[in-house]
Amino acid sequence: MPDRFHYTCYGLTIQSQLPLPELLHAVSSVPEIAPAEVDIRIGPVAPEGLPGGTRLGPFLWVTVSSLWLQVPKVARFLVSEGREIVIDPEPGIDADSLRVFLLGSALGALLFQRGLLVLHGNAIRIGEQCMVCVGHSGAGKSTLAAGFLRRGHEILADDVVPVATDCRALPGFPRIKLWQDAADRLDIDTQALRRIRPEMEKFNYPLFDQFADRPLPVRWVYILGSHARPETLFEPIRGMARFQPLHANTYRVRYLEGMALKSEHLKLCGKLAGRIRLARITRPEKGFELDALIDRILADVAEHP
Amino acid sequence: MPGIYWLASYPKSGNTWFRTFLRNLQNDGDQPVDINDLATGSIASHRGWLDEVLGFDTAELTPDEVERLRPAVYRWALREREIGYHKIHDAYTLTSDDEPLVSAPLGALYILRNPLDVAPSAANHWHCSIDAAIAKMADPEMALARSRKSLPSQVRQRLLTWSQHVLSWVDAPGLNCRVIRYEDMLHDPLSTFGLATDFLQLPRNRLETAIRFSDFRELARQEAEKGFRERPQHTERFFRAGGSTWRDKLTQEQVDRIVTDHGAVMRRFGYLDENGDPVSERT
Repeated sequence: MPDRFHYTCYGLTIQSQLPLPELLHAVSSVPEIAPAEVDIRIGPVAPEGLPGGTRLGPFLWVTVSSLWLQVPKVARFLVSEGREIVIDPEPGIDADSLRVFLLGSALGALLFQRGLLVLHGNAIRIGEQCMVCVGHSGAGKSTLAAGFLRRGHEILADDVVPVATDCRALPGFPRIKLWQDAADRLDIDTQALRRIRPEMEKFNYPLFDQFADRPLPVRWVYILGSHARPETLFEPIRGMARFQPLHANTYRVRYLEGMALKSEHLKLCGKLAGRIRLARITRPEKGFELDALIDRILADVAEHP
Repeated sequence: MPGIYWLASYPKSGNTWFRTFLRNLQNDGDQPVDINDLATGSIASHRGWLDEVLGFDTAELTPDEVERLRPAVYRWALREREIGYHKIHDAYTLTSDDEPLVSAPLGALYILRNPLDVAPSAANHWHCSIDAAIAKMADPEMALARSRKSLPSQVRQRLLTWSQHVLSWVDAPGLNCRVIRYEDMLHDPLSTFGLATDFLQLPRNRLETAIRFSDFRELARQEAEKGFRERPQHTERFFRAGGSTWRDKLTQEQVDRIVTDHGAVMRRFGYLDENGDPVSERT
């Protein structure tokens, strides 16, 4: 076994001691000549947090250049300088569980450290641009992404969507995370799919050729939510009012506190807000009319090319 | 001293009604607060609250793993500058680390309602038959948001049986818990809401206004006019009769079953007379 595996995601070259089967292999890796931009390794991470840093939660510390995160009974992660992630696994933990938090929170923090605007949602390719669907956990983002897949659309990124200073979304890796319920709704057989973690009814759904592997300009952002009423609301947000919802739907927005990145982040939020079509979609909690919702979004997209 | 007061109850026992009172008490307005703007804090089981404090997604954790982490999240609230008033439907249970789910709160206001009235109201809310609601109220495994195949916006909440739920809170060792009864909120509002106001360390100067602004007729009027966003989709109205209606809604057999299941707790809180018969509501 090699001591490092080489991958690419979010436009970065990555070398990792931990195999990351979700990621695309680096096409031409000559590490001796061009060292990887990100190094992921297994090593000790101090249990007591970051002395001199800011404690943001019971399991979370940040400094200007580092983020320390503990997922109890799974691992501690130290993310530094936008270049390095150290994983200190708990004894006996499975590799799937490590990767879920590595590819989510830890990699998300690293993208922040690199000055990217990181949105919490999915990026879906529409023509030569992309649409980002954001919203809180449980809003139905994954189901919607799977619905777009079935319509033949490509996906750039699932859950963590970094947007660069040129307002282009960067492609992540070719899979989405799919709950059993969403799979049932879309007639996807989960028998052959790998579980995200052994004990969960949530699966890795590989995208194969439906992965959009190039950065694309973000043109539309839809904020998905739900309410206890039977109707679906579609409310465009215009002008200055577009800024706050973008900020609020940033991935782990609290990471920014203490990271000294807040002003850059806000600037990028403002820049993106100025060029997108933004709307809030509120769907009924019960009875998710997926196809009707996709039609409604595509109609809005067509009206605002 | 900052910290959390829990507004604890079994579902359909007056928690939302109490929150409208609390909101009106805290809001310095000359009009009743909009029922669609009841931001009196969060609910303990809100996934967004947990994720924000934890810094990682509870969506990637099993319900048991989430439960183990919840005490640390609520302890973190001790660092807030202000007192928080948060709703909770979970029973007061211990996690697998033998730690109370809601560790070290300032206190808990437990809102109790006659189970004979909870049953029909819960049936309507849960969209099931009254018999099914009665069975759920007697099920020690009863939990809300228990799906493991999808991602509800709330995390799993263990309710236990109705009786166990009540006792878990009111008899919790070392917990500063005060009980108020829904029926007393209805028939003796001044002293009942007054007692709750004192317990929650809130000033009494708006007590009478807040009671008037959260009267059932006012809530029903607002709902008829503009709807209520917390109303479940399949129910017609959230703010229904308000008063006791079980004599019209339950069969004798259903009444007997509830009394058999929950007689001891009903007797303790004045819902059964000395003969073991359900008491009539005061008028």
